[in-house]
Amino acid sequence: MKTYHDIVGDGGSRVLEQVVEQRARITDGLSGVRHLVAIGSGKGGVGKSTLTFHLASALRARGLRIAILDADFNGPSQARIAGVQEAVFVPGIEKVTLPRTTNGIGVFSIGSLIPESQALGFESTTQGESHTWRATREFALLGEILASFEWGSLDLLMFDLPPGAERTVQYADYLDPRTAFLLVTIPSEVSRGVVARSVAALSRGPNRVLGYVENMSGYYCRDCNAVKPLFAPPEPSKLEIPCLGTVPFDPELARNCDLGISVAEMPETPVGRALDHVAQQLLDTLESPPESPR
Amino acid sequence: MKFLCVPCDTPMKLQTVAPPERGSLSIVYSCPECGYEMAMLTNAYETQVVQSLGVRIGAADASADTAKSAGCPFAGMIPGGEETRSRPDEPIPVRWTAAAEARLANIPEFVRPMAKTGIERFARENGAVEVDEQILDRAREFFGM
Repeated sequence: MKTYHDIVGDGGSRVLEQVVEQRARITDGLSGVRHLVAIGSGKGGVGKSTLTFHLASALRARGLRIAILDADFNGPSQARIAGVQEAVFVPGIEKVTLPRTTNGIGVFSIGSLIPESQALGFESTTQGESHTWRATREFALLGEILASFEWGSLDLLMFDLPPGAERTVQYADYLDPRTAFLLVTIPSEVSRGVVARSVAALSRGPNRVLGYVENMSGYYCRDCNAVKPLFAPPEPSKLEIPCLGTVPFDPELARNCDLGISVAEMPETPVGRALDHVAQQLLDTLESPPESPR
Repeated sequence: MKFLCVPCDTPMKLQTVAPPERGSLSIVYSCPECGYEMAMLTNAYETQVVQSLGVRIGAADASADTAKSAGCPFAGMIPGGEETRSRPDEPIPVRWTAAAEARLANIPEFVRPMAKTGIERFARENGAVEVDEQILDRAREFFGM
């Protein structure tokens, strides 16, 4: 009797074929993108999304072609931060044109499709059992977005990842192996500990970990024109990946985020200079050969 | 999943896929040798696994029309669909040319209602009563990368 592997094709269900076809469309769609960079952490609330957008703005200010894919489907924030909540999705010849911000950054965010008062939901045949299928469905949606939008010719496509060390690794598994990871922490042992777990988990796969950025590294007091400590001084970081820079918290920047104003409009501030430094470090790291595994 | 007709030792072929009914798909396979037919009836979990992959069983073959009736696997994710961001103060109807409609049909269903609403608003704001490819190209230049 024939076994599974003796039979060519699947008799017409085409399930596997469709998955393979979609992967081919994704590869083709991303062929014009020079660097794929996922901004993750593992820890929530460390400012990944804010940092992603402001890094994108700093890179855009250097004349690079940049796009952001907000991969946090359940808590999308790029639509608001980037000011594309009312984005218009224009059908191109075969795919959807990627909406852009006023400063020319392409942004896809579920937040442009669903108002903040509503949550992302999927039709389901198994009510109350979403833990068994939800992640699969979200990754299939990610694949559909990657395959259906015009990414064109980009210097960097940045993925704003959701929190969770295990989620970070799932994205590494799903995305192209050439996707490099930039991790974000804050100067607390709790946050660094979670990021260390993400680093350990990522080190088992082929994706490159570029380094980390320490966000909220002090806060910028405009009255004193100085950066002051925000957290109790922690022990020196034990993260065994390069630090690409530290970025202080700036209440003005936080306010601008809510208004969709980019950091490019406030370059002569400590936070503006810090982000510019991180942008340069990121570019330098991307252009340098990866370190051989330890 | 593959099916084998044991007496003929021949792989069975998919014949029909009925749309999900109460969480169950009915998929009929037949043996090309002896004509024996069998149906695979999925439980809700099995149906969900297929839906979660974003695929349709038998899509783009003889049963494509049947499968198509199940719609985009992601269409239901946008609460309220077209009404989500519709504006009641825009009463002037806008026509779509066949070519523009074809372009709209090419994009994923979960983006389509928003795209349609946004383009029609852009057309009205530009004094057009019809969305054609020229309007789409102008919108693309105005809003897109």
